[in-house]
Amino acid sequence: MDFINSHLLSLILFLPTVAALVIFFLPKDEVKLIRWMALTASLIPFALSVVVWVNFKSDASGFQFEENYPWYEAIHSSLHLGVDGLSLTMVVLTTLLTPLAILASFSITDRVKPYMMLFLMLETGMLGVFMALDLLIFFVFWEIGLVPMYFLINQWGSVNRNYASLKFMIYTMGGSLGLLLGIQLLGVLFKTFDLQTIVEGWTSLSSSDTFGQTFFTVGQVKAVAFWAFVVAFAIKVPVWPFHTWLPDAHTEAPTAGSMILAGVLLKLGAYGFLRLVLPLYPEQAQFYAGALAFLAVAAIVFGAFASYGQTDFKRLVAYSSVNHMGFVLLGIAAAAKASGTLDATIALNGAVLQMFNHGLSAAGMFFLVGVIYERTHTRNLNDFGGLFPLVPIYGGILIFTSMASLGLPGLNGFISEFLVVRGSWPILTVYTAIAMLGLLFTGAYILKGIKSVLHGPLNEHWAHGEHELTEINTREILVMAPLMALILVIGIWPAWILDVINKAMVMLF
Amino acid sequence: MIPLSWYLVLSAALFSVGLFGVLARRNAVAILLGIELMLNSVNINLVAFWRYLDPTRIDGQVFAIIVFAVAAAEVAVGLALVISVYRRRNTVVAEEIDMLKW
Amino acid sequence: MTTELLIWLIPLPPVLAFFLIVLFTNRNKALSHTIGVGAAGLSWLGSMVVFARALGAERLAEHPFHSAIPWLPTGDTWFNIGVLIDPFGAAVLFFVAWTIFMIFLYSVGYHNFGQPKGDHDRAGLPPHGATVADEKTGHKHMVPSVEPMYSRFFAFLGLFAFGMYVLVVSDNLLTMFVGWEIMGLCSYLLIGFWYGKESARNAAVKAFMTTRVGDVFMLLGIAFLYSATGTLSFREIFTEEVLHVLATTATPVLGLSAAGLIGLLLFIGTVGKSAQWPLHVWLPDAMEGPTPVSAMIHAATMVSAGVYAVIRMFPLLSLDASTMTVVAFIGTFTAIFAASIAVAQNDIKRVLAYSTISQLGFMIAALGIGAYVAAAFHLITHAFFKALLFLGSGSVIHGMEHGVLHTGDHHVDPQDMFNMGGLRKKMPITFWTFLIGGFALSGFPLVTAGFWSKDEILADAFGHGHMAVFITLAIAAFMTAFYTMRQITLTFLGEPRTKEAEHAQETPWTMTVPLMVLAFFAVTYGWVGIPEHFPGLGGLVPNWFHDFVGHTLEHVPEAPEFSWVPLLTSLGVALGGLFFGWLYYRNVKSAKEDVFQIGVLKNKWYFDEAYNFLFIKPVYWISETLVYKWMDQTVIDGILHTFGKVTDWLGNKIRNWIDLPVINGFGDFVGFRTADLGGAMRPIQTGRVQQYMLLAMFLLLIVGGLLFYFLVMA
Repeated sequence: MDFINSHLLSLILFLPTVAALVIFFLPKDEVKLIRWMALTASLIPFALSVVVWVNFKSDASGFQFEENYPWYEAIHSSLHLGVDGLSLTMVVLTTLLTPLAILASFSITDRVKPYMMLFLMLETGMLGVFMALDLLIFFVFWEIGLVPMYFLINQWGSVNRNYASLKFMIYTMGGSLGLLLGIQLLGVLFKTFDLQTIVEGWTSLSSSDTFGQTFFTVGQVKAVAFWAFVVAFAIKVPVWPFHTWLPDAHTEAPTAGSMILAGVLLKLGAYGFLRLVLPLYPEQAQFYAGALAFLAVAAIVFGAFASYGQTDFKRLVAYSSVNHMGFVLLGIAAAAKASGTLDATIALNGAVLQMFNHGLSAAGMFFLVGVIYERTHTRNLNDFGGLFPLVPIYGGILIFTSMASLGLPGLNGFISEFLVVRGSWPILTVYTAIAMLGLLFTGAYILKGIKSVLHGPLNEHWAHGEHELTEINTREILVMAPLMALILVIGIWPAWILDVINKAMVMLF
Repeated sequence: MIPLSWYLVLSAALFSVGLFGVLARRNAVAILLGIELMLNSVNINLVAFWRYLDPTRIDGQVFAIIVFAVAAAEVAVGLALVISVYRRRNTVVAEEIDMLKW
Repeated sequence: MTTELLIWLIPLPPVLAFFLIVLFTNRNKALSHTIGVGAAGLSWLGSMVVFARALGAERLAEHPFHSAIPWLPTGDTWFNIGVLIDPFGAAVLFFVAWTIFMIFLYSVGYHNFGQPKGDHDRAGLPPHGATVADEKTGHKHMVPSVEPMYSRFFAFLGLFAFGMYVLVVSDNLLTMFVGWEIMGLCSYLLIGFWYGKESARNAAVKAFMTTRVGDVFMLLGIAFLYSATGTLSFREIFTEEVLHVLATTATPVLGLSAAGLIGLLLFIGTVGKSAQWPLHVWLPDAMEGPTPVSAMIHAATMVSAGVYAVIRMFPLLSLDASTMTVVAFIGTFTAIFAASIAVAQNDIKRVLAYSTISQLGFMIAALGIGAYVAAAFHLITHAFFKALLFLGSGSVIHGMEHGVLHTGDHHVDPQDMFNMGGLRKKMPITFWTFLIGGFALSGFPLVTAGFWSKDEILADAFGHGHMAVFITLAIAAFMTAFYTMRQITLTFLGEPRTKEAEHAQETPWTMTVPLMVLAFFAVTYGWVGIPEHFPGLGGLVPNWFHDFVGHTLEHVPEAPEFSWVPLLTSLGVALGGLFFGWLYYRNVKSAKEDVFQIGVLKNKWYFDEAYNFLFIKPVYWISETLVYKWMDQTVIDGILHTFGKVTDWLGNKIRNWIDLPVINGFGDFVGFRTADLGGAMRPIQTGRVQQYMLLAMFLLLIVGGLLFYFLVMA
């Protein structure tokens, strides 16, 4: 027990990879065994992260459950793990969504073994980013997460998967070049990659001094490095105009892939903003807050419009992610502009909660699109119509999840969106007002989805014979149940999670 | 005592006979015989130099014995090859055994 | 149980009923409606207890029932939510509880509980009727069939009731907004209850989106208010200091003060929810929903919630004169505008829908001129008599559907008033209650509640010198009486115009009892607010309503001085409208003879068409073409693809110009030349051992000779 208690984070982090290795040695025809093995293996990190959540002291500042192992001593990088209220929320989201995604993948019959292995490795990659307190480790896990996702889209995706996976890979890799350079710069400068040390050292450099032996001032170098970081994370979030990889990748990815992509991978970008950009570049962030807010509002408004313009159900949901993640960035921009104020804290609370909430509702929406796609083999909204009487339970779940996505009060999305709007209003009034246009059209595209799929005259094609639509099955309901429960609970009583986030935000900024 | 040069002349003559046999004969067995002659002419040289230069050392005799051994092995392998070629191609004529050409 | 705890509990039974029905009992119709009606009854009981205690409480305005708990952590502080019942809240709670309970009960009969399953009924479409064989004669005939989604209806109603109760008992704007939006969802779900109909599906989306336009502004208003004052609790906002700060803070928008701008933003929310011009377009279409829904959501409760919100925020709104002008203008204009459309509608429910819009306009206008109590009074009386009218119209439609099933001619629209006539004999209870409701709506003097509340609005407008508002509202009131009498005459009086109308039948007790209960309030509720100086009647009963509700405000508004002008006006317009309506329509036989069937009125001043052209089509274009096709796919992806192509081109060029000729060329050169050399030397390799030997000997001789020459000779 002592071992478990003192190595909680590394256990959560590496158990999925160990499980992937075990699966490697299982015979590939034992599909059932592999599935259940993968599911069980992903449930253990979830249980452990719940243990971490319970034992987490939200009042204490700094990182908890820290672990530090030597890794690459020649360049002073070490495997330094730790969580605070911000990263813990994301860790819990990741460990929660992965088992659900694996359960959702039980319908995969093609090459189950490599699929499940990739999925488990993906989990390690994502968790590593959230836990890393060492910039190099952060970057390593950041890139590790890409590889399994690339193969998941490329091998198990739908028709246009080659284009989509390549676009996803190139976009993200391109973005992380600047990030890598920036991290190297910091690492060389401070002879360590330890996050806390670097933050202290970097922010204490005076902007007007000359930078080392160069002609540049520290301020200029910081501004360039700031944008290098911002672009890397903005692509991942994704922020307009770096978002076009997202609809392609989401649309082509297998259902569970989209769930994780929308649920967790997008959060990596926003997490990067909160963990690295704001602490490392407070002055630059404040200076460029207007630009960030502009991009955020563009994402909100254009994301909503583009979503409304879709006839592909999955693409509609994909664009909704652009719209929703725009609110996260809007909150971050507001916090950057007025760091330390009450408004900033509220905006940040909203942004982090929005990350968590979007993880729940987007994963749910993608899963539901997948459920109907598996049965009908079409995603074209015009091919559906009036399916509600055929699939009443599915319809109910779809409406519920859609409403969470729409931001209906009483469900989780409203709380976070309200907090972001409330926090941003006094700081970035005009931008917030324009963002409301996006909020309006959030309603439009969500209703368009429901209207086209469930309501209206019944499309008889799906009512009889071989195409007869079957109701959502128990396994699929089991995937949705935890998501729906959390959506409702956070909507009604958000304090249990918001309190942790709030305290973390107060201490961080 | 017979002078050393006599031995050397004998040896050279024997070597030349052997070399001629190797180069001129068509029968592979005869070529082998020529090689044996050449080796033995060398042996004569070795023994003669040993005896005339420094009989207290045994280098020359040792060399000669090594050459015997090599010659014996060579004949064994060479004859086996010739027999093997004969069995397959029904000939022992050297010119007809030119499979190794380009 | 303490009153505060009781207030907390009031909204819970309906929402529990919602979850119970959705999760467990949705297959059992009887159990579902028992749970639904039972839950509504429990909430009704709780509300009555709270109301009674509110009546008995001393100085309720200063010490309202209030309790709050922390909800959202915000930095070092918490955002609290809680419940609040002050005099105005208590008055609203009273009518909300009654109407909701009655409508739950009414729904049992409306959805034909106890009738057989339909022959071809399918979820998502209204029931079409069932064929049954008479036991004795074996003669087959059609009877109404039970609604296939009966349980679901009660679940939705429950959720809706939850939203409404939350709105009423909230002590802050945020939870009020939560209830507000939950009702919006239920409105969407219930308008689209028969979602299989194309028209219902579109109406549902239209309702949700139009109200959402208002809602996002309201959300901004809430955010603004919250950041300006640091609280959303009504009691904390409506204090002298906070209001003073809000009134004196300037904003860059149109020279409004912060209070004015917040008020305006919040008011836009009301414009959406209460279907005021220019966001009124959704409410008439919302009549696609089942009639109890129209009665409850689109007459008595949800649309009233918009008015409730502005009445709640009155202390804030009244700080800025320009905002009040806007409110008064929108209300007045809507009142006359909607009334003009109502005159030309033939669908019995659509007339009522426009009438609702118009009456809500009356309340908004009253508020805009500062007549706080009159607005609240009309809100409550209107809720009673309009719910009554809607339920009555539902009963009429139900009776007509009976006739349609009897004749089997399904082309006859059971909602078209020109298909009716003479129903007073067939459906007496419905007739008399509808008459009461209609007279209340028209403001029939002295006996009906509508008279007292509308008279008070007119008196306020006149008394405070708002002559434009007064005259416009008076004309609107005349039109109200006129179209009401048109409706009553066409529906109930005269002789049946169709066979279906001849075979209409009175509806079951579950439908008529709510009618009678509501009719009772439509008459008596007016008597609690008789102005003190009213000739003859004034002072016989104290003006309880004014005293009770008026104290909600810190400065109790003065009742306007009595004047004969507004009294005579309201008498004149009500009686005149009723008289002319009867006079003209008793002789009209069909829609063709009706002079008010003018295109511009019939087509609702072409607002739907204009919005379609101005907003909906451009939005489609922006979404599909501008943003998606042009911006994302052409520009952004175009840049990416260009980048990819340039890289590809560059790579190809590097390959063709450097890699292939130079680097590959060198490698190839070495290889090929070596091969050439080898080829040239190939003939030496004869395969003949003796030739090799000879060659070796010659070379040996040459080498030996050379060595000899250089080493020995030199």
